[in-house]
Amino acid sequence: MSDIKTVLDETPFQTAGPFLHIGCLPNAINIEGVFDNDLGVKPFANKHYDKFITITGSVFDGDGKALDDIMLETWQSDENGVYSPESGFARFVPNSLTKKFNLYTLKPGFINNIDGKAQSPHILLSISSRGLNMTLNTRIYFEGDDLINDPLLSIVKNSRNDVSSLIAKKIDEDIYLFDIFLQGDKETIFLDI
Amino acid sequence: MVEALIKRNLKTHPQLNFPDYKSSRLRAPKNKKISFSSTSTEISGPVFKKDIIGKLDNDLTLNFSKNNILPIGHKIIVFGTISDQFANPIEGALIEIWQANAAGKYLHHNDNNTAPVDPNFAGCGRYITSSKGYYEFITIQPGPYPYPNRGIEWRPMHIHFSVFGKSFGQRLITQMYFEGDPLINSCPMVNSISDKKAKQSLISTLDTSRYNTKKLLSYKFDIILRGTNQTFFENRKEGL
Repeated sequence: MSDIKTVLDETPFQTAGPFLHIGCLPNAINIEGVFDNDLGVKPFANKHYDKFITITGSVFDGDGKALDDIMLETWQSDENGVYSPESGFARFVPNSLTKKFNLYTLKPGFINNIDGKAQSPHILLSISSRGLNMTLNTRIYFEGDDLINDPLLSIVKNSRNDVSSLIAKKIDEDIYLFDIFLQGDKETIFLDI
Repeated sequence: MVEALIKRNLKTHPQLNFPDYKSSRLRAPKNKKISFSSTSTEISGPVFKKDIIGKLDNDLTLNFSKNNILPIGHKIIVFGTISDQFANPIEGALIEIWQANAAGKYLHHNDNNTAPVDPNFAGCGRYITSSKGYYEFITIQPGPYPYPNRGIEWRPMHIHFSVFGKSFGQRLITQMYFEGDPLINSCPMVNSISDKKAKQSLISTLDTSRYNTKKLLSYKFDIILRGTNQTFFENRKEGL
């Protein structure tokens, strides 16, 4: 057993707090001239725009209030289901007036998993904010896609959870709605990734 | 892309539902998270190239200064390494930090604290780790500040850290505290972590060995991101 190294403890999370924009999106709050650009403003910046979709929605707290002091991050494959380190990351905040976020991105394709099985098209979404001691993670799947054989959705179903909170609703051509509920009857399913 | 991540040990992390931290009451989900083995989605992630980092991005005393006027406060160095749970250094990790100024004020429209803004201090910095996982920031000692929680409470001095490793599953957002700060023990955000050792790991230590070379107070804060099965096997080979 001497050949096996000790597993160190991961550094614990702490809340990102209400002022996370300073470090993660300074230009968005008019702190200009420090970083040239905020990261993740345009996922797949070099791809053709006619293939893009919009995902819109709000994040609601336990009182049903739509929040705007949060940060959302997404990680996804391209239209062929391929992950590439240079693109596919986005970082955004809800509009302070409408409390809605808008993600303009490629619709991901079916993704080959490491075990050889296919995953249905999806986007990994994380939420960080004041009041969240750890970043929350969930997935966005898409209404109208073949979701029957997706491995993660099967796991969720098997634990008797309703998967509907993970599926974005198609509300118009190339426009999807994905609301997130932190608490309550409609609480979104969050993932221990 | 890396191999499957080893399972996160939630016992060394904060509780999401921690009523002493008032803001968590309406935001922390009540249901248990769904666990599953890593898929290609979590074991991949964005990689940021060193050319996005400007010369002054990791020097918070200069990156917002006007006419070379330095911000008010004690200039300090915050440094350390980023490694995984098997002590392998992580090169190319992106660290973003943000903090209050010396008076305990953030340059942010939602900060209602009456302390003064420092016109030469924005409080943001970023860096990409070197081959040995090393990082370094030059900054100003952040001040403690009052905030509404259970009545008015005081945050200990701290710096926020956001880290991207090699995969999205390694993503970490945390806070670094300062050795000896008497406000740490009563902070509900710190106390949302029940494991004593885990709590202690967020407290940077004063590194006196740098007094002569750097002529600044230096605080060491090492960060550990999740390990992967691959790094586990790599280590095992080396050990044989």
